Amino acid sequence: MRSIVLKNLKGRPVRTAVLVMIAAFLSFAVFGGTLVTASLGRGIDSLEERLGADVMAVPKEATQKKRFEDIILQGSTGYFYMDIAKLDEISQLEGVGQISAQLYLASTSSSCCSIPVQIIGFDPETDFTVTPWIKRSCGNELGQRDIVVGNDLNAFVGDKLSFYGVECRVAAKLDKTGTSYDTTVFTNTATIKELIRSSLERGMNDFSDIDPDRVVSCLLIDAADGYTPEEIMNDINLHVKRVKAYQSKSMITGIASSLSGVSGMIRTLIGAVWLLGIVIMLLAFTMSVNERKKEFAVLRITGASRKMLSGLVMKEALAVGAAGGVAGCLLGMLVLIPFGDLIEQKLSLPYLFPGWGYVLVCFACTLAVSVISGVASSAVSSLRMSRIDTGIIMRGDS
Amino acid sequence: MKKKKGSAAAGIVLFVLCAALCAGVRLVFHACGQTEEGKWMGCHWAEQAVFAVGISLTAAALMLLIVKNSDVKRGLAIAMIPQAAVTAFIPNTLIKLCMKTDMRCHAVTKPAVIILSIMIAVCALICAVMNRESDRK
Repeated sequence: MRSIVLKNLKGRPVRTAVLVMIAAFLSFAVFGGTLVTASLGRGIDSLEERLGADVMAVPKEATQKKRFEDIILQGSTGYFYMDIAKLDEISQLEGVGQISAQLYLASTSSSCCSIPVQIIGFDPETDFTVTPWIKRSCGNELGQRDIVVGNDLNAFVGDKLSFYGVECRVAAKLDKTGTSYDTTVFTNTATIKELIRSSLERGMNDFSDIDPDRVVSCLLIDAADGYTPEEIMNDINLHVKRVKAYQSKSMITGIASSLSGVSGMIRTLIGAVWLLGIVIMLLAFTMSVNERKKEFAVLRITGASRKMLSGLVMKEALAVGAAGGVAGCLLGMLVLIPFGDLIEQKLSLPYLFPGWGYVLVCFACTLAVSVISGVASSAVSSLRMSRIDTGIIMRGDS
Repeated sequence: MKKKKGSAAAGIVLFVLCAALCAGVRLVFHACGQTEEGKWMGCHWAEQAVFAVGISLTAAALMLLIVKNSDVKRGLAIAMIPQAAVTAFIPNTLIKLCMKTDMRCHAVTKPAVIILSIMIAVCALICAVMNRESDRK
């Protein structure tokens, strides 16, 4: 029986190839679409986790032209500073739990790398956002001139990178987050102050009159128990001059809505492609069975039962579905895994590819769906074929 | 006869893949452009190296189509396998690409070169096997 199925498929190579291609296309759409949707979902979760603080406060100038949001969400480079006195002023406000300051700087294309990278300096004493996930990659504390690089930077532990003439050592490389932090360099406050000083001495800093010891770029705040982030944000915006506070969750609301739009579109496309594919396969199997009526009639005369003939058609569909399913999933992996960075770039949304376990589950589910669809679309033809009248067919009165 | 046809078809596919690598690395999946200061980044030299090896691979694939002797064909196909494998290692492993992996050289050039190189190596292996089989015939 198995050899008849294979011989039938081999005997009609064009028909088999077309059916396999349709099944592959369907599987590619489902497998690819599911993985892209999952990657977007993981990306936004990762961004939410990485933002860490409830409220972020930056100098008002940084909010013009959406510079701050671009740095945090889009991976743009930039820096801005405000007086360190704002840190004390905000920490005195009611409801402020934890507070930590960060300093920003961007490298120039000529100082270290082919393009500018964002450098963020955090205070290891007070930090509660960056340290926990830096600790996962780097067990020891960062020393002077030690840096931690994001996963999308082409530098590895032990490499030396020079920023504004200061040579820094890569102490650790972070895990992939799917966010703008993947292209960021992290270091402690002492090192970033040295880098800012060096940039000032070389006249390569947009702010010529700042003292690195007297400025901060961004304040990360966690609300104390009994207070909401919104209350703290409003308090800062009302009472602290020339400072703009953001609620982290509201910052990612825009991204979340774009994400749900993209995911919804992908799901609709998968549904439409799948429906169309099933209709095409149904037609293809019906036409194929009509065309092969005499072949089936001969098989009936030679002793094949109706059940055997139905089984033959179903097994052919199963083989086509399985081959197409495997081909579609492999094609999906070939596109999505190597070109993940390109997809992330084109979507301009946080994108974190799932682990191999999820990919394998997705592969198995897509294969099962492909096989079931193939068998289901051949079921109608198989039923019709099992009812054929051999005598009429052989006389040619079909 | 059928085997010979299969071998010729594999040869044509191999030639098309090599030509695609050669032309593609220059026109379709090329590396990053010049910087604002007019400097070329490391990835440009990786692109040049892939182009050079691509020409050598295309020439070998063309010879494989022209030559009639199966032994020579097999030799050419076998020689193309390590060449294609080396090509896959040029972007970033042998010649370092740009700093950020979301840049064009990492996002487009590297995966495209790796995929095409693997396809060339596999196709060259098939050619080598097919020419051995046609000898036996």
